[in-house]
Order: sequence, then C-alpha cells, then structure tokens
Amino acid sequence: MIGLKLVGISLIISGFGGWGLAGARRMDRRVGELRDLRIALGFLEKEITTMYTPLSLALQRTQEFSDLPVAHLFRDSASALEMKQGATIREAWRQGIASMLSHSALLPGDIKVLENAAGQLGMSNASEQSKMFALIQEELKLQEEKARDQVKSSRQLWSYGGFIMGAVVVILLL
Amino acid sequence: MELTSDHKTVPKEILLYLSPRLREIIEIQSEAFFCKLEEIRVRYGQPLLIRCGDEDWTVKPSGQATRDIHLGYRVNEEDIYRTIASISDNSLYAFEEDIRRGFITIPGGHRVGLAGSVIAEGDEVKNMKYFSGICFRVARQIPGAASGIFKEMCDAGNGDLVNTLIISPPRCGKTTILRDLALQISSGKGRAPENVVLVDERSELAGCFRGVPQLNVGPQTDVLDACPKAVGMMMAIRSLSPRVIICDEIGRQEDYIAVQECINAGVKVICSVHAGSDDELRRRPFIKDLLGGGAFKLGIVLSRSRGPGSIREIIRWEEHDRA
Repeated sequence: MIGLKLVGISLIISGFGGWGLAGARRMDRRVGELRDLRIALGFLEKEITTMYTPLSLALQRTQEFSDLPVAHLFRDSASALEMKQGATIREAWRQGIASMLSHSALLPGDIKVLENAAGQLGMSNASEQSKMFALIQEELKLQEEKARDQVKSSRQLWSYGGFIMGAVVVILLL
Repeated sequence: MELTSDHKTVPKEILLYLSPRLREIIEIQSEAFFCKLEEIRVRYGQPLLIRCGDEDWTVKPSGQATRDIHLGYRVNEEDIYRTIASISDNSLYAFEEDIRRGFITIPGGHRVGLAGSVIAEGDEVKNMKYFSGICFRVARQIPGAASGIFKEMCDAGNGDLVNTLIISPPRCGKTTILRDLALQISSGKGRAPENVVLVDERSELAGCFRGVPQLNVGPQTDVLDACPKAVGMMMAIRSLSPRVIICDEIGRQEDYIAVQECINAGVKVICSVHAGSDDELRRRPFIKDLLGGGAFKLGIVLSRSRGPGSIREIIRWEEHDRA
C-alpha cells in the first residue's frame, strides 16, 4: 500500500514538475525564435531591397537559411505563392504563420507583429520595403527584450514552481 | 492586315494574371472573342472593358458579353489588388523601373499599363502607388503583316532598302508592321539577311521580358530594350554594326539628330512617327528639316480603313518634292 502511495506521489510531483520545466523551456524557446525571426527577416530584407529577388524565391531562400520552426513560416508562404493559384502575399504569409504557430512558442503579441507585415510585404518599392522591415525589426526587438525580461523574472518560478505545486497537491491529498 | 491571333494566347498568357473573379467571367467567352481581343481595361469602380477590334465590350457578372457597358461587371479594390499582385508576382519592388515608366511587360510580350497615384520629384517620376487602373494590351505577331510595305521599301534600281518613315495615327498597326519588317529583313525574306538593331524604348516592338524578346524579331536582330531612342541609335552604331536600325515613334529633337547621324553613317533607318498625313507630319517640329535634308526617301501612311496596317498613301519624297 505504501509502495503504491509512493508511486502516486512521485507521479504527481514529476508530472507537475515536468509541466513547470516545459513552461520554462517555452520561455527560452520564445526568446530563441524571436531572435531567429529577426535574423531571417534581415536576410529576406536583403533579398528584396538589394537583390530584387522575386518574393516567392526570396521566401524560399530565407527558408533555406533559417532554423525550425521559423523556417515553416517562409517555406509555407513560398509554396503558397509558387502554386500560382492567384494567392496574394497576404494570404500566403498568413498560411505560413499558421504553419509556424503549430510548432512555435511565440505568443499572440509576437504573431500580431508578423501579421502587420502581411499587407505590405512585397507590395511597394524597395525603399518602402526597407522602412517596413526596419519597423518590424524594431517591434520584434522589443518583443524579444520583453521575452528576455520574462525569462529572468519567471524562469525559476516555472522551473521550481511545478515541483512545489506537485508537492502541495500531494500534501493536500494526504 | 486582319487582327486575329491564336485563340489560346489570351487565356494562356493574359487571363492568368487577372483576379480570380475577373478570370472566371472572361474565360468562358468564345474563341472568336479571344481572337479579336486587343485590350482588357480594369478600372476601379468602373465596368470591365474589353476592346475587340473597333468595338468596346464588357462582361456581365453572369459572364455574358454585352456591348452595353453599363451592365458590365464593376471592378472592385480586391480585383485591382489581386491583379497587381499577380502581374508583379507579389514583388512590386522588382518592377520599380517598369512602374516608373508606367507599364510592366509580362511573358509573351504583352504590355500592362498602370494608372494610379504618381509620385514625382521635379520632372521625374519616382514611383506610383494606389493603383486604380490596369490596361492589358495583347501583343500580336502577324507574320507577313509588312510584306506589302517591304516591297515598296526596296530601291527599284539596286534593290537596297531605303530610309523609310512609317506615318500613322495611334492604333493603326505601326508597331506590328515594324516588328514584321525586323523579322523579314533579319531573316532575309527574298534577299540576303541583314543585321538589324531594334531600339525598343517602350518594350513594345520585341516585347522583351527580362531582356529576352518574347516575339519573333528575326535571327539577326539585336534588341536594345527600354533604351531611349537617341541613345540606343548611337550605341547601336558604335557597338553592334547594324545594317538597319528600326525604332518606334520618333518625336524629340534628339531623336531626329540621332536619325541623321545614323543615315550619315550609312545605316538604313526605318522608324515610325505619329501623324495622319504628310501635311500633319510637316507641321511637327524638327521633322521638316529632316525631310528637307533628304534623310527619308519613303513615307508610308497607315490607316485602319481595311483593318489596322492598311496602307493609305505611299509618299516618295524626292519625286513628291520635285512635283
């Protein structure tokens, strides 16, 4: 009987602990993804404003250059445009965001910044595109700073909090 | 010259650039309709307009073609946005130069004219945005369109080509004639082939897409695409050793100076000019001096009386001036 109880206790504590650790890891991943996004968008900007590469090809090259899950955004946007079914960049970009979201730790605020670019991407001259990218970079940088602050302030809470919460639940149950 | 083309040209090369709604109602039209189609005009808030020969048509939202323009499908903002996105492959930045010139050439050599809000600095157009109108002009290759004219252009004595001016009001087929002349001279139809340079300032003659001619202008033809005429003529003499230079719509003083330079260099010049008759032509500034100096021996006045490219009058200037 005692053995069964011990197994139960350890399952509860490790379950809550794992949940807490996953939360802490998600925070770290968000910072990394925001950084990757900024680097990838910098690459896309160069393709557009310096190389004048057509957008579908520029997105494809950016996908090859970026890490997962950010690469999903560029891969799915590029393939939606390449299908030549009349999709606009607005639709293709949203499709890419949806695909990235299922693998990503980004928050709705981060996604909002990306969505704002949907209507403008590709649809103006190089200098306007440059301004748009500068704005997105600035906003993503702010999001990244916020994410770093959050990591600093809440990471330990999530890491240990899960185990503590598990222990509290065990005590209450006992 | 009958204005017909392969009925597949428009559905295959032009309709795919239109917004899905516009494509849906146009693509169900008959083959005969596509054969005669010359222009598709898409204007924000206005009925869709399709020019077939001399007639304006529209298409009802149900897809039925009608000549009552007011019944036509009204173009909305979404149609304009999607069409522009499609023409530019969602990459307007890659077409900055073209947009500054007011048009984009799509594969097949078809020209897409743009209307919208122009951003200018001084006399120079910097950009265009808030597009409100799009005009698709179907580029047509009509082999043999210039055969009648070509015979007149050969000197009766030695068979050499003479410097020729194609005089024509708009939409009388001068571009098609010039394109076919390039093809015939360059491929040596009935005579030895000769090096031809096409100075194609408006990308209409050869319909270049990314520098490559989309229309057949002959095996010995070099194309200076999007190049100002006067500059192009001088470049051609210096570097391409042409026997014949062909260009469209001369009109500025520098064009006339360049034409004179080419003729003095022993190069034959064939070009077009906007005018309806010899009298109208002589009222144009600078041209009088050029004709007075004997630069051109032959003038061919075009009209649309029997369709675009009909010859209205042939003027042999030496005889004309003597008379």
